[in-house]
Amino acid sequence: MTWQRETFKKIKQIPREEHVLPGTALCAGCGGLEALRLAAKVLGDDVIYVNAAGCFTMLAAYPFTPFKGSWLYTTMGSAPAGAQGVRDALDVLIAKGRLPERENLKVVVLGGDGSTYDMALSSTSGAITRNLDFYYFCYDNEAYGNTGAQLSSATPYGARTTTSPCSLQHPSGTMQEKKDIFEIWRAHKPPYIATVAPRYPLDLEEKFSRAAQFTGPKLFLALAACPTGWLYDPGETPEVAKLAVETGLWPLKEAVNGAVTHTYIPRRRPVEEYLKLQGRFRHLFEPTRQDEVIRHIQARVDSYWQGIS
Amino acid sequence: MIAIRFHGRGGQGAKTASRILGTAAFLEGFVAQDSPIYGAERRGAPVAAFTRIDKKPIRERGLVARPHLVMIGDASLVQDPAARVLDGIDERTVVFVNSPLTAEQFQAQTSLPGRVTTLDLTETALQQFGKRSAISALLGAVAGRLVGLQEESIREAIARELADLGLAVSAIARNQAVGVACYAAVPMVSVTAGPPQPFPPAALQVPTYESPTRGTARISAAGNSMLRETGGWRTFRPVLVPDKCNGCWLCFAYCPDGVISMTKEDRPVIDYAHCKGCQICVHECPTEALVAEREKEGGVAWKAK
Repeated sequence: MTWQRETFKKIKQIPREEHVLPGTALCAGCGGLEALRLAAKVLGDDVIYVNAAGCFTMLAAYPFTPFKGSWLYTTMGSAPAGAQGVRDALDVLIAKGRLPERENLKVVVLGGDGSTYDMALSSTSGAITRNLDFYYFCYDNEAYGNTGAQLSSATPYGARTTTSPCSLQHPSGTMQEKKDIFEIWRAHKPPYIATVAPRYPLDLEEKFSRAAQFTGPKLFLALAACPTGWLYDPGETPEVAKLAVETGLWPLKEAVNGAVTHTYIPRRRPVEEYLKLQGRFRHLFEPTRQDEVIRHIQARVDSYWQGIS
Repeated sequence: MIAIRFHGRGGQGAKTASRILGTAAFLEGFVAQDSPIYGAERRGAPVAAFTRIDKKPIRERGLVARPHLVMIGDASLVQDPAARVLDGIDERTVVFVNSPLTAEQFQAQTSLPGRVTTLDLTETALQQFGKRSAISALLGAVAGRLVGLQEESIREAIARELADLGLAVSAIARNQAVGVACYAAVPMVSVTAGPPQPFPPAALQVPTYESPTRGTARISAAGNSMLRETGGWRTFRPVLVPDKCNGCWLCFAYCPDGVISMTKEDRPVIDYAHCKGCQICVHECPTEALVAEREKEGGVAWKAK
């Protein structure tokens, strides 16, 4: 059965009201901000964001905040632990009657891929195991972007970062495969996990509104196309995000209590179209074309989609 | 010693320009030092980079407080006090501005204290590359000319630095050609070297302990980021051609900063005080109702494919 959107059917159903206000110091054309802005339209203002250090540090750079709700800042490794503290405090205060029920807040962790895939992995695992009622929003730009694009375990094979350059010994740049955090999360059996891409706004909005019915960890992996780190013109952010999905490299899916559904089946354009757009893959095409590497990336995608329809 | 300070907007290439200049000087046998100032700089935000060139070893470190040459990659930075473009400039300082105005016109407008020279690098890049792009090679080449370096070493430095950034071979060759053209075109004002002028030693302050309730930065306002305007980040502004708009909402849906709102008649309204000029809306508009206009007087300069 194909997946159907129930709430968000037309683009004009995207709420008009903004919950992440302009004036942040994030890069022009930031794909992560694009995704967060859309997510916040569903989450609303009664939210406390617990932000792991990363690019999103620039959201509420002192003394300005783009949120009407609250924002708390933690180290890269401890945002889910911070979320636990906030959730517990809210629960205790409400139970004791010191805070009216209507002032309850959603707790949302914001973490980059460096935090999510690497440093905060253990504290996320702990939070899911404790069945903490929270949202996890990972903006995945596949590198440590805030410090100038260093290798993270989300960096895909073949990409060039400042710490995995293309060299004689390692012509492909990054040699590792991207860590499959979705499956690591899923192994914990949380009630809801989804991947989203801002180029598919209705899919994104639908997943956030659908997640609201679940109590417990609700985890989101958002593709954050990154003009600064991926080296393309900021105007092309939606184009890059679109090709990431259309080539099959970034599957749009959800897992409800562990059962995976692909919410969009791409026609699977050749990965080359996606790679060619970005400076971080340019060494695969120039000065000599590295067919071997491109074939390898294509083969990985093909094997992923085998049997999925 | 000659101390050069580059000012630009993130993504424009000020840092790379300072590297090109430093590398070119090094290739000619000088001692060179170059460093950008790092912080929370972002695409479009003001950034600075520093180059020092000398015949003997350079002992001075850190920011260039009293430059002999200031290279301004974006003329709007002059008006931005946070960019601190004019710090330490006196009447002997040479100031290069990337501007369509002549030096006299520019000086009449801004009454800069230094000796001003200008060239329109953005327009050159636009014509030569056919799209908006970084002007690092152009800025570096102009700086090389002003401090008196050879054309050949600039050409080689552009190749080395841009190859480091992973640019395509063809793009490097184009940058070299355009850089050399700017090298020849910039109105010459020669930079005079001066003795090193180190910073006065910084006094170290011992931090005092405060309890977290006092010692932690807290923001008690809601949604006050609106007070900070990011409109100055733009080099191009999206402009609506109302007749072509079909009211599809795509620009509103994809704007990362949420600066586009829709009227009751489904027409976009752009908040230019905060639009960072990423051009996503221009790229995504299916009816070409949004076009990019360069941030200056004049017609439409650039159109997305």
